[in-house]
This record gives sequence, structure tokens and C-alpha cells, in this order.
Amino acid sequence: MAVVADAGVLYGLLAVGAGLATGLAGIGAGVGEQGIGAAVVGVVAEEPGFLGKGLFLMLLPETLIIFGLAVSLILMFAWTPFSAIVTP
Amino acid sequence: MLRPVKMSRVVVAGSKDVIAPVVEKLHELHLLHIVNYNGNQPSFEMGKPIGKAREYSENLIKLRSVTRYLDIKNKAPEKVYPESQVLSEMDNLLNNVGADITATYERITAIDAEVKSKQDQIKVLKPLAVLPLPLEAYYGYDSLATFVGTVATPVDADVAKVSPTNEIYSGSAKNATVVAVFVPIDKAGEVSSVLSEHGFAEMSVPKLEGSVDSAIATLEGSIKSLEGEKAPLQKKLADMKKQYEDLMLATDEYLSMQTQKTEAPLRFAETDNAFVIDGWVPSDQFSRLKGELESTAGGKVDVQLIDDKEADGLVEQGEDIPTKIDNPSLVKPYELITRLFAIPEYKEFDPSLLIFVFFPIMFGMILGDIGYGIMTFLVVLLLKKKFRTEGWQQLTNIVLIASVWAIIFGIFFGEIFGPLGLWGRIMGHLPEAQIELLKEEGLYFGEGVFGSLGRLGPLGIFPMDRLATNAVLLLIGTSIFIGVIHCSVGSILGIKTELNYGEKKHAYFERLPVMLFQIFFSIALLGLVMGQMMMVYLGGLIVVVSIVMMVMGPEGPMGLAHVPFYVSNLISYLRLLAIGLASVGLAFAANQLAFYVIMPMLSGGATNSAEFSIPAIIIGILVLTVVHFINMLLGILSPFMHPLRLHYVEMFTKFYSAHGGGVEYSPFGHVRRFLKA
Repeated sequence: MAVVADAGVLYGLLAVGAGLATGLAGIGAGVGEQGIGAAVVGVVAEEPGFLGKGLFLMLLPETLIIFGLAVSLILMFAWTPFSAIVTP
Repeated sequence: MLRPVKMSRVVVAGSKDVIAPVVEKLHELHLLHIVNYNGNQPSFEMGKPIGKAREYSENLIKLRSVTRYLDIKNKAPEKVYPESQVLSEMDNLLNNVGADITATYERITAIDAEVKSKQDQIKVLKPLAVLPLPLEAYYGYDSLATFVGTVATPVDADVAKVSPTNEIYSGSAKNATVVAVFVPIDKAGEVSSVLSEHGFAEMSVPKLEGSVDSAIATLEGSIKSLEGEKAPLQKKLADMKKQYEDLMLATDEYLSMQTQKTEAPLRFAETDNAFVIDGWVPSDQFSRLKGELESTAGGKVDVQLIDDKEADGLVEQGEDIPTKIDNPSLVKPYELITRLFAIPEYKEFDPSLLIFVFFPIMFGMILGDIGYGIMTFLVVLLLKKKFRTEGWQQLTNIVLIASVWAIIFGIFFGEIFGPLGLWGRIMGHLPEAQIELLKEEGLYFGEGVFGSLGRLGPLGIFPMDRLATNAVLLLIGTSIFIGVIHCSVGSILGIKTELNYGEKKHAYFERLPVMLFQIFFSIALLGLVMGQMMMVYLGGLIVVVSIVMMVMGPEGPMGLAHVPFYVSNLISYLRLLAIGLASVGLAFAANQLAFYVIMPMLSGGATNSAEFSIPAIIIGILVLTVVHFINMLLGILSPFMHPLRLHYVEMFTKFYSAHGGGVEYSPFGHVRRFLKA
């Protein structure tokens, strides 16, 4: 059975989904980085030589955003099955 | 290059008669990594310092305290001294100059303390100015108790209740009431408790004379004269620093070297008549070490090479083989990144060369802009001139090479401060009419990899628009492709490392399947995208095989728990695309704002760039400068840190430090900086 839907609405929903994927992943990474950042500032105050390692540790949770972004990119650019649904 | 330098274990044994020349020669050769004697052999004891060890260390302590007064820190040498000059000036430097500096410094400290105490007195005196008493009225009584301080509420009535004989003065200062209460000394206890009910806070009145105002004026005058005395003293210290800085650092170096030499026997094993030194030396330098030492000692010393099997035995007993990483000068800066992680063990690989290959490409791919690349290059060149310490030099060299790659990628991506604007003006641009035509056909923005945005490239190469759909897809593929190569190289090194340690099972069933999994997983994905089902089946098959191998490996079924980590390893390389897109987006927005909104609007709706009015162009350039500056600040750190992370987390975990960090080769000797050789 072919589902007939407004292509514009579907595309809009896709865009909303893509936005949510990156945005929510960003919030998650931010929550993760918050704790690390606070700890790193503490350590750097004691021992300035730790700054490099600290900055690097700060980046670890940023992988989460990359995952979210990957999902967004797939939704926006590479999601071909959606065209099959739209055509009646 | 990829492996640390081959080392050999040596033993130097000799007569105690020649210990001093041997130590001197070893220090000069700067070759032998000494293994400290642990005192375990019953027939040997630890060596004792030779020569004037005490005198050298005492002088060193004296010198360091003087350098601390002058605030002299280690820096790049401006002048080098011959040892004889340092020796002849040392006595004068340590005693006369040193005493002068110490006296000056102590006088400055004393002045600071005195000024501080006078300022404190002024702080106390200022509120007292509201009371009509001279200062000598506050002290020197035998039968009176004096209370001077601030109170929250009036105290006259309550004090009169407990002590009818009293004398109370009060006045209101800035934000408190100041009181001076005089009562007979036998009532002091009761009055004190009454006062504390009124929130009394005591002030200690300085023992001065005359009116408060004149006392403050006297104090301020003497503070001024003290400050006047301090300024020339500070200038004297600064002048002395300028005059003696390099000489002091040279003397410090000389004394450190002498202490190092005289205390070296503490690391040797000794009997009554002989000494034995254990150590490691780069294998190709052994014959030089042997020849030089034996000719110095005139046959009274024996240098023996221990064969590898026996050396392995010593390693098993807990001796560390020092790691000497050796790279060509172009790769050397990247040792900084290796060191920041860990020094490799002797049997592991030194990844500096791989960082040299991959890091700049990754940096370039993320930043990918001719304008930003040139700016980074220039700024870093300035930093390189300014900060001459070794760490900064390495860091700046890393970024210099990386920014050249940013310029190269900038040519591919067609970006000079972002994809719009400058590129079209410098490299060429399609006529506006033709772009309008493309827009109508729906080919203008968001479609196509090449030639969109109407930009033309040099040599007929159309620049790629990173924000266009197809470009994004292409870059996703490129990122994952770089990731697969990067991780595979790491896995190959991992396999070889495990084989070096003789752990075949770990090599073939822990490291190898990871590589197979990552390569063929991505081949299967590529097959799905391209619609080549053969590739999907082949990839899928080998992925299954690799998973079976993992289960057979040392970790058993638990090894499967790592599979999601290996997938996320690959996805993690998407940051090469993603972080770049973020900064392109900002640059694009800035250019759009300036060239297509602000400039046309301010020049009365002109669409052609030739019709823009001068003020419009000035304001537009101002906006561009601000936004691009912010973008640069944000945009330099990420392209540096994220490839670093890709190396540390995604690549190094494949081969590094499975066996613990190494010990760096630090030969006995000293690199002369302020002293002539």
C-alpha cells in the first residue's frame, strides 16, 4: 500500500529530526564535558603542566556530537527510502 | 625511525686510581645511560663522591638563592662563556656581587614591611580623627583602663551604670561610631562586658604623639621617603640582572656539571680498589665508548659488551632498557605529541613519523582555507620568533607545517576566508546572469560538488563547495577512508609489537581481527552505498570471520564487548568533516552578511560589487574582520586538538602501551648551553 503524504511536510519532519539529533547529542556532550572541565580547571590550578592533557580529556565526550551529526547528515543527505514513500 | 635506536648493555670496570678521568670522559662523551647500583651484591658497596663535591653544592645553593633574588629564570643563551672565565669570576660573583644583591634585596623587603606597617597605622588613625583627643592621651595610664574602638549603638548610659566615674568621647566616622572610654582600672572587666553587648570592636592605637592629622601626615611623609629609597634599589637590582644574568646561568651550569661529575660515583658499585659501572649505550656507539675510555685510563679500565641473551636476563630481573627515539629533524617536533602521551617502551614503536604524516593532513582537511592558513602561518611564525624555548619551538613547527596543508586544502575547497566573496574576486567568478540561470535550473546552491557558488578555479579545476550535498557525502567517505587507513596502520604496528614481545596469540587473535573488522566493515558499507552487493557479501563474510577470531582470542567471548568501540572508532573520523563544516558555516554567514546584505543595503540597493559606496565597503570590511577573527580563534584550537584525539584514542590504543611506559635514554653528561665546549 502506498502512503501518500505531502513531500514538504515529510522533508520538514526530516529536518526537525536532524536538528534534534545534533542538538540533543550536543546537550549530552555538554553535560559530560561539564564535569571533566571542572576537574581539569582544578588540576591545572595545582599543576599548570597538565593543561595539554586536560584540554585533550575535555574533547573525549565530543565524539557524542559527532554521532548525532552523523545521524543528521544521513537523514538530510543520504536517506533515499523516503522518496519511495512520497511518490504515490 | 619507527623503532627506537638499538641499545647494548655494557659494563665498565676499572681501578679506583682512574675513576676521576673516567668520569670526566664519560661526562664529555654523553653516551652512557647509567644503571644505578642497587646495593644488592655483598662484595660491592655504593661509591662515594669524589673531589670537592661539598664545595660545589654549597656554592650552587649560594648562587641559586642570589638568582632567585634577581628573578633569573632559564632562557635562551645570548652569550656563551669559556669555562676559564666562569672560574675566574665565580669567586667575585658569589661573594662580592652576591652579598651586594642579597643586601639590596633584604633592604627592599625591609622597606616593604615598614611601609606596610605604616599603612596599617594610618588605617587605624583615620577614624580616630573624629575624636578631639591628641594621640598621647590614649596611653600611659596607671589607674585608668582605656577602650578605643567602634560600637554599633551609643554606650554612654550603660557604661555610667557600671562605672559612675568615667570619661567618654564619641564621634561618627564613615560608617561606624568611634568611642574612647576611660574608666578606673578596677571597673575594666565590667565595662568590657557592657561594651561587647554594644558590638564593640577594639582598635589598637599606635603609640604616637600630637594630633591625629599631623601623625597621619608624618606617616605619609615617611612612606613617601621610603618609596623614594626603594625605587633606585629596584633599579639597581634590574641593572645587576641585566649585567650578570648570562654569567650567572653559565656559572649555574658549570657548578651543576661539576656536582654531577663529583656525585656520579654514588651510582657506581665499588670495592676498596676498583669500581664497576653498569649502563646502556646505543649499539653503534659502543666501539667509540670503549676506545675513548680505554685510551683515557691507559689500560686501567675494561669496557665489556654483554651479549643480548644475558642482557635479556637482566631485563627480566626488572632492569629497563632505555628508549632513545631518533627522528630526522623534520619529524622531531612531532616527538612532542608522542611524549605528551608516553615514551614508548624499547620494544614498542615510536609513532612520531606517523603523526608527522597524518596530523598535518587532518589539520589541513579541517581548517581547509587559504586565508586562515596564511594567517595561522604568520601568527605562528611570530610566536616562533618570540618564544625560543624548546617546547614552543616544537609546537610552532608542528602548526607551521600543518598550516601549509590548510592552504593546500583551501585550494581544493575554494576558500579564502570562507567560500564566498574573496575567492570569486581573486580566482574568477561566473557572470551574475549565468548564476541566475543556474539558480532557475536549481543547480546553484546545495547541488553538485564542483563549480557551484559560481566560483572558477585555477587551471580549470573547479573548487569544491564543502557545504553542498554531494561534497558532504564525498567528504564523509574521505573521512572514513582516512580513518580506516589510520586505524589499520595502528593495528599493523600493534601486531608487530606483540610479535616483538613474543605474544603470538595476542598478535593474531586480538590485534589482527580488529584490523580485518574495520577494513571489511567499511568495505561492506561502501558496497551498500554504491549498490555493489558482491562487496557487501565479501565484507560481511570477513567481518563474521574476524568476530569469530576475536572470540577465539585471549579474551574469549568477552572480546566481543569491544566491537561497538571499533565501529565508533571509524565514525569518530567524521569529525574531520564535521568540525570543518562548522567553521565554514560561520565564514559563509559572515561573507553573506557583508557582501550580500550590508554592502548592497548601505549603497542603496546596488547589486553589482562595482557600485558599492565607500562607507558601505568600510562597514562591510569591519564586520568581516570581527566575525572572521572570532572564527579564527575558535577555528585554530579545534583542528589541533581533534586530530590529536584521533591519534591518542583511535590510533595509539591499537598498539601503544600495552606493556607500560618506557624509560627515556638519558646519558650521563650535560648539553652545554651557556658554556663553551
